[in-house]
Amino acid sequence: VYGPLPLANTPQSVLRVGGWMKLTKVFALAAGVAIFCGPVFSQALAPHQQATAASASADTASKPLSTRIVAYQIEAKLDPTKHTIAANETLTYKNLTGQPQQTFPFHLYLNAFQPQSTFMTEVRLAGTRGNGPDSEWDPKHLGSITVDKLEVEGAGDLTNKMEFIHPDDNNTEDRTVFQLTLPKPIAPGASVQFHIAFHDVLPKVVERTGYAHDFDMVGQWFPKVGVWWKNAWNCHQFHATTEFFADFGTFDVKITVPQNEIVGAGGDLVSTQNNSDGTQTLSYHSEDVHDFSWTASPSFTLVEDSWTGSQGPVKIHLLMSPGHMASAPRYMKALKGSLYFFDQWYGPYPYDRITLVDPPHGGIDAGGMEYPTLVTAGTSVHMPQGLLEPEFVTEHEFGHQYWYGMVATNEFEEAWLDEGINSYTEVKVMDAIYGHETSFLNFPFAHLGETEEQRGSYLGLPDMDPIARVAWKFISSDSYGDITYGKSATMLITLEKVIGEDTLRQALHTYFMRYRFTHPTGEDFLKTIEEVSGKDLRWYFNQAVYGTQVLDYSLADAHSDPLKWWETPAHGSKNSEKDELYRTYVTVERKGDFTFPVDLQIKFDDGSTTFEHWDGLDRWIRYQYDRKAKIESAQIDAHNQITLDRDPFNNSYVAAPDPRAVHKLRNIWVFASEWLSQLLAWLT
Amino acid sequence: MAASNRGTFFSGAGLVWQWQRLVWWIFAVCLIFGFFSTHEMTERANFLLDHSAAAQRLVNGFDVSAIIMLQQLRDSPLEIHGPNILHFSVLFVVFMLFATGGILAAYVLDEKPTTTAFFEAAGRHFWRFFRLLIYLAIVLLPIAGLAVATSAMHTRIDDQSISPYTGDYFVEAAAIVILLLLIVVRVWFDMAQVIAVADDEKKMHHALRRAFGLLRHNFFALFWIYLRISIITWVLFALGLYIWMFRLSPRSNVAAFLVSQLMILIWLGTRLWQRASEAIWYRNYQANQVPEPAWTPSPAPMYTPVAAEPQA
Repeated sequence: VYGPLPLANTPQSVLRVGGWMKLTKVFALAAGVAIFCGPVFSQALAPHQQATAASASADTASKPLSTRIVAYQIEAKLDPTKHTIAANETLTYKNLTGQPQQTFPFHLYLNAFQPQSTFMTEVRLAGTRGNGPDSEWDPKHLGSITVDKLEVEGAGDLTNKMEFIHPDDNNTEDRTVFQLTLPKPIAPGASVQFHIAFHDVLPKVVERTGYAHDFDMVGQWFPKVGVWWKNAWNCHQFHATTEFFADFGTFDVKITVPQNEIVGAGGDLVSTQNNSDGTQTLSYHSEDVHDFSWTASPSFTLVEDSWTGSQGPVKIHLLMSPGHMASAPRYMKALKGSLYFFDQWYGPYPYDRITLVDPPHGGIDAGGMEYPTLVTAGTSVHMPQGLLEPEFVTEHEFGHQYWYGMVATNEFEEAWLDEGINSYTEVKVMDAIYGHETSFLNFPFAHLGETEEQRGSYLGLPDMDPIARVAWKFISSDSYGDITYGKSATMLITLEKVIGEDTLRQALHTYFMRYRFTHPTGEDFLKTIEEVSGKDLRWYFNQAVYGTQVLDYSLADAHSDPLKWWETPAHGSKNSEKDELYRTYVTVERKGDFTFPVDLQIKFDDGSTTFEHWDGLDRWIRYQYDRKAKIESAQIDAHNQITLDRDPFNNSYVAAPDPRAVHKLRNIWVFASEWLSQLLAWLT
Repeated sequence: MAASNRGTFFSGAGLVWQWQRLVWWIFAVCLIFGFFSTHEMTERANFLLDHSAAAQRLVNGFDVSAIIMLQQLRDSPLEIHGPNILHFSVLFVVFMLFATGGILAAYVLDEKPTTTAFFEAAGRHFWRFFRLLIYLAIVLLPIAGLAVATSAMHTRIDDQSISPYTGDYFVEAAAIVILLLLIVVRVWFDMAQVIAVADDEKKMHHALRRAFGLLRHNFFALFWIYLRISIITWVLFALGLYIWMFRLSPRSNVAAFLVSQLMILIWLGTRLWQRASEAIWYRNYQANQVPEPAWTPSPAPMYTPVAAEPQA
């Protein structure tokens, strides 16, 4: 399915997607079936191989997509007035660790919403989202999850064996992870069943999960077992910036809510039953996912649609909050466009549903979140058409279905593998749908593309932390955001310059197909890029991923001088000036500590152009030309591909000055100055 | 009253037009201050952008990324701009505090504002108006408190209301109330300035007290003079912004400059129109006052003797 794309950088391109889809449907479906059987292949197949494999392996389509380690069965009842949940959970854990397991760690992440938790401590220290160090504690922000009873099949009640642990920071007040030691170990290949009765108190939305008015966003709400990874249990505490890492499996969840509540969940609705007490019980099933979240509100308006991709139809549910219906078509377009381009570029979307939750006003901090087959976005009553916030949030969170949902990397330890790769694909998809220069802001008077937005984000704090750093050890949440999102995306955009955009897209496709439904590492990703590109890229990754070097090449000097400068110049004669021989010097300087090969384009006033390539290793290089022409311009990275370069303004020299840009800036600032003067003069 | 107001409205415009050199001079000062405030930024930006191909992002449109990149540079030309704008704006406020006496003298006396007369009146009233500015700050304090309370109430309403509109409606209503209050205060102080100039009132608390009395008895006339010119200002300003942002070619610097300066001119001109109208209104008011008659002894009361009732 991977091939030439029917792109036009206009919004209309997506409108044409449906028609194009019909033309490619047969081919796409055939290839999609082959891709659906991904786990049987150790690596991605070329399109023609996929098509062949489709017919041969159609019978394997019903096989699990993932190695199902966990099976959760949960019955939950929501009290929408108190915003509490009473639940019973049965977790069946299959020991595929290859060794006996006696101790099991579990997340209890709602306990993060307590003033002494690690999460709140980090928020106080470095801020996150809308909460800064000066945020006051509101008792309504209190959230909790309490295990009332924990029984293990065959071992009885082990509630009093629960022990809170703090693997990341030794914060003994943090109660987001507990471990349980069983009386006897579980043999390799055997299963163990945990029966857990628990109840949740949802916080008023401060971040990611909780309630706002009659809206309940229920994420990170049940005891979830850790991941046996790299020969050890991996179960981190809930942090200010990261929260995801879990094993794949199945979820059967029964949710009981009042009958007026409209519910959305990360699973297929299997049945609905009205109860005599005025409640309804909705049963959901989900498989080959590693988490389950849901939402409920009587104020939602449900917008339904569908989209057909290479794996068949996908049901789309938008749950719109009051006053936000104007954004529904925008969400829908972004969601369908994202489904289309991910399906075309990176791999098939194997689920038959996607739900987008639009949080109400006051609940916006629950927006912009990703859970398997359920994402939250964000808009407002007066969202301008030219600000593509609903669109890019939708695209970004949908992208996490791939980079987090299916390629289930460890967000705590390598957040860039989901947020960073996802920010890169956000740039590509948003550009494809909304245009390269208008995919973030699109007003008649101003515009901004996603590429430059990510670059600007990176430049906020470019050199405090490397990309490859454990998430909670960044100096601040700003640095975490700028590097993990902005720099990672910018690093991959710059990599296109080295290996080509198509090759990088192919590498992402291969990476997705090879590692979906597994827990790959950063090295897995980088090695895949090297393998697909056929290039040793360590020099680049060591600087861009593992280092904090900053890239800045500058055109230090460019000028032409008459070769026989000591002779009297023949003024006033065009011919003599034309015959004059000039020596042109062009000096390029490496101002940063990041080395990168540089392409130089030099134009002369006789219309000729010269290109140079410099390995960029030395501090500077000077080129010299003797010809009957003066320099017109010299430019490093003429196509603006090295987006890691921190200063694009020093990359070029144009002999003829053009003050129009400064005039424009000056116009605006003079006006701003005058108007402020007039406003203040009102006081007189 | 309506006919009188209409006359004031147009007469005010005529007065501004008649002594338009005042508008041009103040506009010129404002523009010069504007240029001065951006001088350093322009110098740095010239150095960075004039020979850079990347500057084309700003030439062929307005690519916000160019601003973001400029902002992130170590010696960003933009980082110094904020304080400079503020400094020159404060300087302009001082200038206007000085010039207002001269402007009002021209309008109140309806005499050609010669340079000498202008500066003489400006100098004479500078400290008076400075004291008025302090009074104004005191009067504005409760309104600022109202704005703070509005903000707190908005947070509370937004927190409690399921509808996303309730909070917005509350803020919009509160903003209108605050705006109207500000207009009332400004009209009050404008009239105090007019009284100070017209009657050479040296004690500003007296001027304020008299202006308050005037405003109380002629509230709608004075309020409407100010408000309708304000509405004209806002409409024209919004129209200018619309033309600048949506109608002009992004490449057009000259047209953008002219439109932006026209907006400033309109803002300034209409403010002077308000002052001129208020001055004319006050002149008319004084002219229409029936002089209090000289004291004359009132005739002696006539008593009609009443016969005493016969006692029982």
